[in-house]
Amino acid sequence: MRYMVMLSMRSDVGPPPPDLVAAMDVAMGEAFASGLMIDAGGLMDDQQTTFTLRAGALARTDGPYAEAKEVVGGYAVLDVRSHEEAVEGARRMMQVHLDHWPGWEGSADVRRIAGPEEGPPTR
Amino acid sequence: MTSPEDAVVAVWQLESPRIVSGLLRITRDLQLAEDLAQDALVAALEAWPRDGVPANPGAWLMTVAKRRAIDTFRRAERHRAEVNRLGHEMTEESVGELVDQVDHVEDDVLRLMFLTCHPALTAESRAALTLRLVGGLTVEEIARGFQVKDTAVGQRISRAKKTLAESGASLEMPIGAERASRLDDVMAVVYLVFNEGYAATSGDSWMRTDLCLEALRLARMLAALAPSDAEVHGLQALLELQASRFHARTSSSGEPVLLEDQDRARWDHLLIRRGLAALARAESSGQPVGVYTVQAAIAACHARARRAADTDWVRIASLYDLLSSVGDNPAVEVNRAVAHGRAFGPSAGLAVLDAVESSSYAWHAVRGDLLARAGRGSEAADSFRLAASLTRNEAERVLLLRRAATSESGGA
Repeated sequence: MRYMVMLSMRSDVGPPPPDLVAAMDVAMGEAFASGLMIDAGGLMDDQQTTFTLRAGALARTDGPYAEAKEVVGGYAVLDVRSHEEAVEGARRMMQVHLDHWPGWEGSADVRRIAGPEEGPPTR
Repeated sequence: MTSPEDAVVAVWQLESPRIVSGLLRITRDLQLAEDLAQDALVAALEAWPRDGVPANPGAWLMTVAKRRAIDTFRRAERHRAEVNRLGHEMTEESVGELVDQVDHVEDDVLRLMFLTCHPALTAESRAALTLRLVGGLTVEEIARGFQVKDTAVGQRISRAKKTLAESGASLEMPIGAERASRLDDVMAVVYLVFNEGYAATSGDSWMRTDLCLEALRLARMLAALAPSDAEVHGLQALLELQASRFHARTSSSGEPVLLEDQDRARWDHLLIRRGLAALARAESSGQPVGVYTVQAAIAACHARARRAADTDWVRIASLYDLLSSVGDNPAVEVNRAVAHGRAFGPSAGLAVLDAVESSSYAWHAVRGDLLARAGRGSEAADSFRLAASLTRNEAERVLLLRRAATSESGGA
């Protein structure tokens, strides 16, 4: 089973402290080494665009956005044996933030990725 | 909804190789190491549903297990030296330091893999013991994967541990030529586990996919533990690339779909990317390539072709030539004949095929295909019929007889 973990935080959170970056390197290195994590990335806010479809009208807004809001700041794809294993993978990422980024607030969403026989085609 | 126990077991499985291998270093007794790890699991099952998962579950489990180890040694009133050493370590080492010993831990896990794949054991025992102690799987999960009884797996594992103890198998890290040969043994076990799932033609395919995933994880782990050995990256690449085709291998009605007929959009492109990256690591090492790397390179030729018609058969043929030069494997020769047939025409394929003696159904089936492509219809029909009489797979038999009939009537 494959899961995606999305890490959300306020868009005005600022750059992560070096301590967090180092600790995340270690944690993610371990997760990749154990075969649990198979992909991960941080999402930048210097180049972003949002399309909004409302009331039959398509609108485009280009960032960066002045107003602070909750955004996805990073993601990880996990190859797991159980839902709980994915949950633990996400908990570890949050624990690193708790331990190494004082004052940081955010959330981690743990979602199963649809298998090839369910959900929309991946092509 | 999952139970709190499921959560504990999931965490324990993640930590299990480090816990068991760390305990093995301390106790130098595989059975005792496993018992202590189980004790730690039991303690976690009691504490975590009540108190929540600790911030650092690995350190928590290790601390509990070490404490039990000391108790065990004290009760036995022997191993005086170990008690002293452990008592010393427990006061000196903070939990944080325990976790920071990453290099140490990696060596421990690799040593454990060398032990569970020890040459004193049978192939089945190596696989079961590795999945149990390195993969952290339960006996029931292993039995399901191999489609045998729980008791058979349980016996296999306890016999294997006994064999290791009796043979005085060394816990030390092998070096030099021995390391190379033992690493080959470990890779063979991972490959065997993968193939057990991949080649499955019967049973619940869902469970078998799990076995492939487990082998893939072991391969990824091994590549991280022994990164300076090129071939481990080749093995990882091969398994990632083969696994990328998993879902395209069967039709919606459950029939097997041959590589050339697969819907390539259904290939798993994340795994292809990972496979190609692992292959690049193997190929850039400057070390001589091994059989897994060459097979991965062949799989990569298929992975890179957006359409079956784009396949670089000339390169595949040369890679099979390379494989053929290092071993004596009739299956390789049959595949080499296919590749030469595609790359240089049917008569080139037949030349390769006719140079090997084989009475396998695959040999006759490929011969039939090459003869049909060469326009030798009635000879092709004979080969297809011979192949049909040799296969045990009903669907295949029907297909081969159909091709025999088409060839006879002049079609390809």
